[in-house]
Amino acid sequence: MATPVLMPKQGNSVESCIIVQWMKNAGDQVNEGDAICEIETDKSTFEVEAPTSGILLETFFAADDDVPVMINIAAIGEAGEDVSALRPSEAADATAVEEKVEEQVAVQAAAQVAAPTPTAVPAGAQVGVSPRARQLAASHAIQADQLAGSGPEGRVIERDVQAAIANSPTLSAAAKQALQAGGVHAPQQGSGIGGMVLQDDLAEGAASAGMATAAPSAANYQDIPVKGIRKVIAERMHASLQNSAQLTMSSSFCAESLQNYRKMVKSQGESLGLPNITINDMIVYAAAKTLKRHPQLNAHFIGSSIRQFSDVHVGVAVDTDRGLLVPVVKHADKMSLSELSSTFKPLAVSCIEGKASPDDLQGGTFTITNLGSLGIETFTPVLNVPEVAILGVGGLQLKPYQDSDGEVIFKQSIALSLTIDHQAVDGAPAARFLQDLVNTLEHFDLALAE
Amino acid sequence: MPKSQIVDPAQVRKSTKVSTPDIPVCAYKKTLKQERKQFSDNDLIGMYEDMALIREFESMLDQVKKEGSYQDVAYNHRGPAHLSIGQEATAVGQAFLLGVDDHIFGSHRSHGEILAKGMSAIRKLDNDSLLHIMKTFDDGAALKVVEKDHDGSIKDLAIDFLLYGALAEIFARRNGFNKGLGGSMHAFFTPFGIYPNNALVGGSADIAAGAALFKKVNQKDGIVIANIGDASMGCGPVWEALNFSGMTQYNNLWDDAHKGGLPIIFSIANNFYGMGGQTHGETMAWDIMARIGAGVNADAMHSERIDGFNPLAVVDAIKRKKELIEKGSGPILLDVATYRFSGHSPSDASSYREKEEVQMWQDVDPIKTYPEALKAEGVLDDAGHEAIKERMAKLIGRAYRLSIDMDISPRIDAEEIGSLMFSNKKIKSYDETRKPDVLIKKEDNPRVQQLAKKARFGLKDGKPVSKNRVYQYRDAIFEAINDKFYEDPTLVAYGEENRDWGGAFACYRGLTEAIPYHRLFNSPISEAAIVGSAVGYALEGGRALVELMYCDFMGRAGDEIFNQMAKWQSMSAGVLEMPMVLRVSVGAKYGAQHSQDWVAIVNHIPGLKVVFPVTPYDAKGMLNTALSGSDPVVFFESQALYDQAEIFEEGGVPEGYYEVDFGKPALRRSGDNLTIVTVGSTLYRALDAAKELEEKHGMSCDVFDARSINPLDYEPIIESIKKTGRVVLASDACARGSVMQMMAANLSHYAFDYLDAPPVVVGARNWITPCAEMEDDFFPQSAWIIDAVHENIVPLDGHVVTTNQRVAEQLRRNRLAI
Repeated sequence: MATPVLMPKQGNSVESCIIVQWMKNAGDQVNEGDAICEIETDKSTFEVEAPTSGILLETFFAADDDVPVMINIAAIGEAGEDVSALRPSEAADATAVEEKVEEQVAVQAAAQVAAPTPTAVPAGAQVGVSPRARQLAASHAIQADQLAGSGPEGRVIERDVQAAIANSPTLSAAAKQALQAGGVHAPQQGSGIGGMVLQDDLAEGAASAGMATAAPSAANYQDIPVKGIRKVIAERMHASLQNSAQLTMSSSFCAESLQNYRKMVKSQGESLGLPNITINDMIVYAAAKTLKRHPQLNAHFIGSSIRQFSDVHVGVAVDTDRGLLVPVVKHADKMSLSELSSTFKPLAVSCIEGKASPDDLQGGTFTITNLGSLGIETFTPVLNVPEVAILGVGGLQLKPYQDSDGEVIFKQSIALSLTIDHQAVDGAPAARFLQDLVNTLEHFDLALAE
Repeated sequence: MPKSQIVDPAQVRKSTKVSTPDIPVCAYKKTLKQERKQFSDNDLIGMYEDMALIREFESMLDQVKKEGSYQDVAYNHRGPAHLSIGQEATAVGQAFLLGVDDHIFGSHRSHGEILAKGMSAIRKLDNDSLLHIMKTFDDGAALKVVEKDHDGSIKDLAIDFLLYGALAEIFARRNGFNKGLGGSMHAFFTPFGIYPNNALVGGSADIAAGAALFKKVNQKDGIVIANIGDASMGCGPVWEALNFSGMTQYNNLWDDAHKGGLPIIFSIANNFYGMGGQTHGETMAWDIMARIGAGVNADAMHSERIDGFNPLAVVDAIKRKKELIEKGSGPILLDVATYRFSGHSPSDASSYREKEEVQMWQDVDPIKTYPEALKAEGVLDDAGHEAIKERMAKLIGRAYRLSIDMDISPRIDAEEIGSLMFSNKKIKSYDETRKPDVLIKKEDNPRVQQLAKKARFGLKDGKPVSKNRVYQYRDAIFEAINDKFYEDPTLVAYGEENRDWGGAFACYRGLTEAIPYHRLFNSPISEAAIVGSAVGYALEGGRALVELMYCDFMGRAGDEIFNQMAKWQSMSAGVLEMPMVLRVSVGAKYGAQHSQDWVAIVNHIPGLKVVFPVTPYDAKGMLNTALSGSDPVVFFESQALYDQAEIFEEGGVPEGYYEVDFGKPALRRSGDNLTIVTVGSTLYRALDAAKELEEKHGMSCDVFDARSINPLDYEPIIESIKKTGRVVLASDACARGSVMQMMAANLSHYAFDYLDAPPVVVGARNWITPCAEMEDDFFPQSAWIIDAVHENIVPLDGHVVTTNQRVAEQLRRNRLAI
């Protein structure tokens, strides 16, 4: 009897993995423990090892297939063995995974008599345009198939066209006719009375994105399927905004103390065996220490209760080719600055290389996201629910300060944006935390002494 | 069970035995010499002439089917030809004594009976009557063909007319007796007392019983003969017809003027084969068919076997049986032993019987033996014999050449068939010369008096009037029927529990006191005979109102509804009308075999009008329309609604007569954002859904009650969709194949450009109907309608579904066949 190779379940929330590549091919001799293929979850890349030694008799899925976990993906045994009993029935088309999941959802829904509320899906994934909407759109020179549909399964229906009409500029009769003929697009505002778009206002070619009449031709865009990490991010972000009451407050701190300390580490750290400590490391360190004094911010909001943590595990957002990943520095509050720095760096690298383990990406109690290096001054971070707070870090900028003589001098300053879930935390305690954090960062030497 | 009769246990339990009368077998013993005392030579020769005419006619058809020509003139006849070569003596003997008031109904093998009865009528009618018939029938279309270059007598002209009309019908020509729409298996000619022949084996039995009922109830002259075959004695509806014809109530309960069994002879042309199955010794239990009479009534239906190869033996039997019927002693069963030399049809190679057997019968073939006997007796000589044969070949040759000629005998324009599907007449009374038989004055009827006190509108100051004080749906049914009983003397109503009990749903309560037995009676639990006899009653020219207690019983009357009730107006090319209403009650609470809405099944059948009123106003108005029309109407009612008060027509249900036309759906609620269409009692749940949609989601609805399914005027619904762009269709029928699916498909077609979402059907699940306690999981509820809108038409803000109406779920169910 041949031995099946299972698609492993990489953590509780993983439902399927994409096969990145087969490292062994059907017919190859494999030894127990050999990596036979590389797989990718929404979070990371792993290798699947041969559970036994023998001939790799058959691989049931191709590279790039998205395969549900705990399904046989290959069989190992002696040459000539029958593997038909191991072959998953749905192996023929693994792109069917998504359909299958949908079907399961339908079946579950039937059983529970509780189908989820349909939500509007982005343009591109929509099922079509109702005849009525199409007719209305045509009479108003609107390209109905470019609208985001709010009907079932994203169908563009009459009300979507009506909304687009409401948002469209008024058109002169000649402009309308020209638009219906195609090949031109209208600006949002025209040169006629009250902003009416005249025929002269029409521009050649397709309209720019975002306009109701936007009409990119097929050659001018590319549809990128929403899957893997992008799908998870999309779902999380949407859920975050749907399910929490987000409030962002901003402050800034004078970066002098941090910069001085960094200079010191840079010049002398190597000889002391200290790692290359970044501004970000220091902010994470300060935040972890400050959070310890503000447990309300180091918490999860779980609907019926708020869970405050005694330990501080700081998630730090990392930009990767696959999208945003948030590795978690566990017990950050108990670490020295150098420990924290040397813990975080390899985590970030493994994320960028796509090799982080799911465990590295779980368990955060607070998140820090830093767009400072990209020149962003300030922004509103989106909560990493169920965490109740996230800190956004902006870039260095000069800011006027009054010195002790009352003279205005410019110093390097960094903006902080704290988004909280107002369901769990009120403004004042959040402000106090931010104030405490600013204070800590501006007197970093003292913080190190703690 | 009427109270006037007691079921006495002492009688029931008394030890005794059942004895049956002896059933004679071929008891006729007279010689030709003896018969010459009562038959003239002309009569005796005439019988041979008619037999020879039929033999030549059938041989011609046989030759055309097998060789493609007759008398060297080629013709390809594509239709059927079920021949009765060998059975001529049976047909001629039967017809000899019959007048035009005696009506015969036939089978798929009835050419011989048509010709024999036609020749008998021509011999009996005077010239003026014959001319009048020929000139007025179909505006003289057939007469014009045969009278050209005709130089014989009126009777000769009538023979040409008969042969041409019958053959043009068989060859599906416009000048045929039924414009070619009946054809070989259905040809008939009512002015000669020839009523429909029937392509369904035994199909004529219950129809003929209904015709006999018509004669009895309306005291018309003549008897009825059902000419069916020995194989039909294996058909349930035939048994039902025998029993229906002999119900004891005719003797025990009906008034003196109407006493006695039905005036009908079931004449079984017993040729011993049903297609290739040998009824004698193989497929039937009775050995000698005449035995069956003993199982029907104490008279054994005066059953006997007679020799169908001897025309004089048949005449003798008909004479004796007619006398019995005139004494009120019907029904009669005759086992007429005969033999067909031809196969079942031209494709039949007779592989199921020995050549020797056929030869044995051919040795006694009456077409040879009867003229030989006449010659032996000196009635006929050889020259006369030859002259007859030559004359018959000439007559048939002439009719053949005329009827195959496309210029002289073209086919009907196909579109004309559409205009013949319904007669669409308004007829208040089918006999204005008579006063209806009733027992009391209408105003003395206790139920009429009781109804006068009821509130005829169901709401007072916006609140419902109590059930006991309000005029209900069942009262509306009663009122329409009661009024019609006092207007049309031909109206009869029957079905299960119609009398005394007042119908299982109390619609007929109050009629027992007012209407005599012969107009309102309890039928046996014989759905086929209930519907089939109503067909016969109606096509004889009387108005019949019959009832199926549950829609689910429709299957028991399948042929009668689908092939008979629906078809005879058009198959007769408008010669017959079918003023018949079939009330069908759609049940609830009684599970899988008593709770089905089968509107779709009858709607599918061409030739039926199908309505399903769900308000008292419509119930009375539409029943008035149905009972004043000339077409067959299947009138659906919902048992869930018999106590429903009128809540839409603010004037209430009028006391006087009014009609609600078939066709237009009724608008029960108005709105702008959604169109809902319902059939049946689902309307009331749809109105609940419409109310919630408007109150919770600001979505106002047009709600249509498609009370008339066929005909159906789609235009008001299309106009509504132009406004709303959205439509949901709901009924209590299982969704698959329902009329809602049909309407949805049609609306997708007719209103495509106006739709903002596909038409969505919410029907009952494709399951058996579960127990009463679980019906809400089976029949569409208002929540299902709202969920269907949310999932398939337009998402509703904040709506949480409780049922799964998604497409993926529909697909899954379809894959699973549920």
